[in-house]
Amino acid sequence: MKVRTIEYYIREVFISLRRNNWMSVASIGTVAVSLFIFGMFLMMVMNMNKLAENMESQVQINVYLLDKVDREQARDIEKDLKEIEGVESVGFVTKDEAMERFKDRLGDQKTLLDALDETNPLPDSFEVTVTNPDLVKTAAEKMEKLDGVECAKYGQDVMEHLFEITRLLRIFGFTLMLVLAFATLFIISNTIRLTVFARRKEIAIMKYVGATDWFIRWPFVMEGMVLGLFGSIIAAMVLRTAYTAMAEKVYDTLAFFPLIPEQPFLTYITIVVVISGMVVGAIGSAVSIKKFLKV
Amino acid sequence: MGLKLMIHMKNVTKVYENGAVALNNINVDIRKGEFVFLVGSSGAGKSTFIKMLFREVLPTSGILTVNGRDVIRMANKEVPYLRRSLGVIFQDYRLLPEKTVYENISFAMQVIEAPRRLMQRSVNSVLDIVGLRDKYKCFPHQLSGGEQQRVAIARAIVNNPSIVIADEPTGNLDPETSWGIMDIFQRINAAGTTIVMATHDKTIVDAMQRRVIAIEDGQIVRDEAQGGYGYES
Repeated sequence: MKVRTIEYYIREVFISLRRNNWMSVASIGTVAVSLFIFGMFLMMVMNMNKLAENMESQVQINVYLLDKVDREQARDIEKDLKEIEGVESVGFVTKDEAMERFKDRLGDQKTLLDALDETNPLPDSFEVTVTNPDLVKTAAEKMEKLDGVECAKYGQDVMEHLFEITRLLRIFGFTLMLVLAFATLFIISNTIRLTVFARRKEIAIMKYVGATDWFIRWPFVMEGMVLGLFGSIIAAMVLRTAYTAMAEKVYDTLAFFPLIPEQPFLTYITIVVVISGMVVGAIGSAVSIKKFLKV
Repeated sequence: MGLKLMIHMKNVTKVYENGAVALNNINVDIRKGEFVFLVGSSGAGKSTFIKMLFREVLPTSGILTVNGRDVIRMANKEVPYLRRSLGVIFQDYRLLPEKTVYENISFAMQVIEAPRRLMQRSVNSVLDIVGLRDKYKCFPHQLSGGEQQRVAIARAIVNNPSIVIADEPTGNLDPETSWGIMDIFQRINAAGTTIVMATHDKTIVDAMQRRVIAIEDGQIVRDEAQGGYGYES
């Protein structure tokens, strides 16, 4: 493409953005809202996946003992545990230690536990680490069969719930995205249609003197892309601010929740959002100019 | 006549989607340097004839070549290149009102991505041909009808077409102004450009004594090398 042609295109784009300024603002706004929602779902789904992965890779099993088990019996159980295949280390956690840890984890909210007075509902337990995540399931099953063991817990249950939530989020997010994508396409193509309509004479003359369809199409496609770009930049900025703010909240109150670190995650989200915006803009305008090229 | 065949129509028929037969079995050869008047009453098929030449209308059957290109079998993406070899002029001028005379003409070069260094020289030279050099800064609404049509002619010839196609170019002009336009066409023709002009103007056709093709009801009823309008208007 020649430099002069590019100059021509850029001038045309800005002339027409100014000409339908209100429609342009409306399009940019729609793109921004749609992409913001899209980005939010993307972030949620990705964080859920990350959480599930984290759980899956955990090789720790918590073995909770029945209340009636005394220290003597506990030592026997410890021996039995060590003999199970794949077990690397076994640590004993008394019910008092468990309570302390729980309080630490609650942080500012530990006053919640005041309601319990001095009673401690937590059982004694063993923290068992396993050499290999693949062995976790069979090992936990064997542990549950031991006398005096109430249950052996690892990430499994939580993970299944997480996967379920992630799946629902994906379906819901995808459906919503589809609807929003159509709404965005519709409003962008309408904006461009106004531009095209205002210039239909010019287009007809261009056709008569032998301009190629792509020469005629480019300024409009670029206008759509610029609308998409502006909208997506707004969406990306809001998303970045929101994620950073949310991350701070999460670190304060739910320290154990493994959020995806802001970088390079936010850069990645920004790129996805901006590209989607420009693609939607380009498609929207290509759709609306098609009819006017038939001369 | 050994001159190059610019327009070749063999058994060309055009039937519109609503079933109307606009042209029926037309056979015409137009050679380089000819000046051809297309006459006939309204609705006889002149417009269809003209529009087929730059492929705004596609013939239903037959053979049509323009400037050596097979118009019927041509791919859509080749159409712009066909049109670059033609200059088209309409009764209603079709100038862009927000562009100056200079811009209206250079626009035709710009959109086919002609080299910039050629632009000023080419525009000035066609402005000389149509006699509007001193009005290059004017907007169309500041010009008379005849002047606007001259700008349209300048735009049509700025890319050096080998055929100029004019559909009733003097239809909106008074006789004196029309002669000014015809004078320009004659000069363009004298320089070797083929001209096909559809017209209702009996005086002009009779006075010029050029080839006349008369169309009635979609058929050629007369084709004379040096003819007159032939109807009482």
